[in-house]
Amino acid sequence: MASSEASPLLRLTLLSVLVIGLFIALLSRLWFLQVLAGDRYVALADTNRLRTVVVEAPRGDILTDTGAPLVQNRPALTISVDRQVLLTNDGEPINEEAELAIGRLAELLRIDDDEVLERLTSQRYSPFRPVPIAFDVAPETVFAVQEHQELFPGVVAERLPVRSYPHGDLAAHLVGYLNQISEAELTEERFADYRGGDLVGRAGLEASYEQQLRGEAGNRLLEVNAQNRVLDVLRETPAQQGNDLIVSLDVELQAAVERMLAEGIVSSREFVRDDGRNLPSTAGAAVVLDVSDGSVLAMASYPTFDPAQFVGGLSDDYAEYLYQDEDVPQPTINRVIQGRYPPGSVYKIVTGAAFIDAGLAGPNTALPCPSSYEQGGITFNNWNPVSEPPMDLATALMRSCDTYFYDLAYQQWVREDRQLDAADGELSQADIDEAVSDMAYRFGFGDPLGIDLPSELGGYVPDRASKNDRWIETRQRDCRLAEQLEAGTYGQLVSADRCQFGGRWRGGDAINTAIGQGETQTTPLQVAASYLAIANGGELLRPHLGRTIVSPEGDVLEEFDREVISTLDLDPAVLGAIQSGLERVVADERGTASDAFAGFPLDEFPVAGKTGTAEQQPRVPYAWFAAYAPADEPQYVIVVSVEEGGGGSQTAAPIVRGIFEHLFDVRPAEEFEFELGPEILD
Amino acid sequence: MEAGYGEDRRLKLLRQRVQDRWGSAYAPVRHLDPLLVVIALLLTGVGLVAIYSAKLTALVSQGRSPTEYISTQLIALVIGLIGMIVAAVIDYRHLRTYVAVLYGGAVVLLVLVLTPLGTEINGSQRWILLGPLQLQPSEIAKVAVLIAVAAVLHEAKGEPGLGSVGAGLVLTLLPMGLVFMQPDLGTSIVFVWLAATMFLIGGVRARYLVSLVVAGFVGVIVALQTDLIQTYQLGRLTSFLGASDPALAQGGAFHTRQSLIAIGSGQFSGKGLFQGTQTALQYVPENHTDFVFTVIGEEFGFIGTSLTLALFLLLVWRGLRIAVMAKDLFGTLLAGGIVSVLTLQVFINVGMTIGLMPVTGLPLPFISYGGTSLIVWFALIGLLLNVHMRRF
Repeated sequence: MASSEASPLLRLTLLSVLVIGLFIALLSRLWFLQVLAGDRYVALADTNRLRTVVVEAPRGDILTDTGAPLVQNRPALTISVDRQVLLTNDGEPINEEAELAIGRLAELLRIDDDEVLERLTSQRYSPFRPVPIAFDVAPETVFAVQEHQELFPGVVAERLPVRSYPHGDLAAHLVGYLNQISEAELTEERFADYRGGDLVGRAGLEASYEQQLRGEAGNRLLEVNAQNRVLDVLRETPAQQGNDLIVSLDVELQAAVERMLAEGIVSSREFVRDDGRNLPSTAGAAVVLDVSDGSVLAMASYPTFDPAQFVGGLSDDYAEYLYQDEDVPQPTINRVIQGRYPPGSVYKIVTGAAFIDAGLAGPNTALPCPSSYEQGGITFNNWNPVSEPPMDLATALMRSCDTYFYDLAYQQWVREDRQLDAADGELSQADIDEAVSDMAYRFGFGDPLGIDLPSELGGYVPDRASKNDRWIETRQRDCRLAEQLEAGTYGQLVSADRCQFGGRWRGGDAINTAIGQGETQTTPLQVAASYLAIANGGELLRPHLGRTIVSPEGDVLEEFDREVISTLDLDPAVLGAIQSGLERVVADERGTASDAFAGFPLDEFPVAGKTGTAEQQPRVPYAWFAAYAPADEPQYVIVVSVEEGGGGSQTAAPIVRGIFEHLFDVRPAEEFEFELGPEILD
Repeated sequence: MEAGYGEDRRLKLLRQRVQDRWGSAYAPVRHLDPLLVVIALLLTGVGLVAIYSAKLTALVSQGRSPTEYISTQLIALVIGLIGMIVAAVIDYRHLRTYVAVLYGGAVVLLVLVLTPLGTEINGSQRWILLGPLQLQPSEIAKVAVLIAVAAVLHEAKGEPGLGSVGAGLVLTLLPMGLVFMQPDLGTSIVFVWLAATMFLIGGVRARYLVSLVVAGFVGVIVALQTDLIQTYQLGRLTSFLGASDPALAQGGAFHTRQSLIAIGSGQFSGKGLFQGTQTALQYVPENHTDFVFTVIGEEFGFIGTSLTLALFLLLVWRGLRIAVMAKDLFGTLLAGGIVSVLTLQVFINVGMTIGLMPVTGLPLPFISYGGTSLIVWFALIGLLLNVHMRRF
């Protein structure tokens, strides 16, 4: 009995130890959770209940001086879906009901189920705001959703701001378009305050004024319960609407220029050339600048595109048109600033000024204009197979006499090469001051002008230094070919020569450059800026579109004034000779553009201009016409270039004429009829 | 004679008075343990606050009275206090006489709850609706098994043979099986634990105990391999064990995760009364019943949780003290059994809220919302008082 008395006590002690052990286990776990790891759980509890929803800022508008909108925001009827109602975190439908709802939605919007899923899972939108999956739906679609909400769980109709283009594809290249930011860009410093899915200006003014137009997104800190119902807005930072951009563009003129450029290009294709083929006229560019301040009044590039197609994402068909259609060469390229063409004879104002400035001849010195010019065993032809009597600079411009410039170019080249010889190896060819390339840079060629549009190209000004640089870059290939090819063949000889002497600036280079051929490349905008400098007496202005930045409240935040890049510093006699030469191109009956301007009221509105026909073997030449008017008191500079458009007087000058007629109310753009000019291949 | 008689009578009265005085010193009511009652009331108070906080936002947002749940709980408390007094007043030794009736009644109720009379909530049939009241027979069965097994072991006088052990097992396994069919895994485990600890206290030989433990393990494995356990229970169990099937684990893992966040984010001193976001925003499911401990953890922090556990430990201490002081083995077994059930329920319930134990539906004694549980626990306190005051 004694043992059984002690036994329960012993066994109770055992139980007590067990009990205390269990309590210690609980307490130590609680100590770990609440004291040691508490911070982590506080953060998790906040993640549970707090949601930050970004409130997107409406982007600023782009308007013209007169207040006409080029781009604005408009509310679009949108079907959005609360992702959390239909999808799991992995982007799969939550259940069968959700799958059915997605199917019904796809049917309603006439797209595939997969397409709905794809749009729903787009990284562009926060999972805590409804994801827009269809913009600009019909009101009937909205009614269908609202009347049968039980069939469309999580689906809401809302009005969201989207980019709208009141003038359709007008000035598409200038306006540009928006596109989603890429993952790679998000890591870049300039996109530091962007989030995945944000829209970024991709081209045109949308890109160059991105920072001003963009605005600042706001956000709302929400408290949500376990069912993801929003209980409270804890903090709200309102979105800051983007600023408006006022541009110098004249909407009416822009429409006229675009129309006439397209009409001219398309009509010119009817012309059959000597070889029996039609003029290709594949593409073209036109620009109208205000002489007083260099602002852009119109800028057109053909072919063009419709920026509205980018709203809500490009369709496959349109992407193909933009990037793969062989009949439509690169419509997104703005050829005014991104087309790199040899300038041909429009460049003669630069080379002419250079030779006279260098003192080779006076502006009035009469120099011969034979039908051809021979140098170093090579014959360089004038465009005119008939020799013309000796002429001064103005006449040489009027007649666009190539041989006049050839001889001057050769003389200048000899002079410069003598400097090199005299230096006896002390100087390299890169150290020589060159008259033509110096003058070209003074006129704004060779570097981008800095217009307020993205991706402007600078063209190329060839000279001793740049040719040497190119040779160093490419000579290895020539030297290799010289070794590989059969000795004595033409190819081998050329390669061997290039390998050894390819960096040398030869007389032939100088002669070709004198008429805007050879390696010279310019953009239509550069040509326009150089003619503007002639028109205004010698100031090279920075072309620009933006005039002011205006806050949503209407305050002017920033003004863009007339900006002089440099001055030409030309002798007034030289400048005068060039100006009069350009006037005579149009006014004199022997001028290369006189036929194209036949019947134009030149008495009232004298036009000064220059034709250009740039050889691009084996292609059909590129047509140029650069002009300003009125010649006595210049207001506008116009440049038109047509790729494979034949002679400048043939296709480019008639288009410029049409634009002047519109500007001076001689004939409205609607009545414009393209009339092919004479085929002068200067 | 007269005087003698008077003297005698006076002496008799005097003796009577002395005897009465001494006798009343031994009267059971003089030997109450007021601390037991105080602790039980304190724990109930903690529970009322936690339940109120847990339901506050949900009830207000539904336009209902925020005191809805705690008034029901207060009614249960009153009934529980009456039950406690009844359980204390009747000499516990008489319970052996009525145990058959109590046990039989409990088994009948357990059978009834499985019939269409029972109410199913969350896939488990545990309640019988009596008008506005919900009766949970498994709670009553717990008491019945406690008394029945204690009675059997008491008969064995501390040296139970195979027959007593067998009888105790049968008495436990019958209601356990019925509870398991509801299904209620947590309470089933409590039955097994109850029997095991009472066998331990009652003097069952070590080798029998060990064989029982082995048999228990085999039983669990068999249950897991067959379809005896409902899928949702398996899911909760395996989520605790770190199972790979997310579909099965999701329900349980979500409970556990949200519960851990609630308790952990309370940190040392808690977020303050009614300031718990996990609580107010209903991230923790069932936080007025099985997961009520999360409210204490979130709003009162480690201070709150450790004080609550301290109260339970005090209760355990008083119970063990009573088990040691009990006049007979029956009293020891009753007190020891109550203590062991209390400990296990606290451990399983709190353990599941902090990720130490799988999620099983077992209420936290005195604190979880639920009338039957509260009433039964006060009755068990009454039983402890009973054993304590009749220790001489």
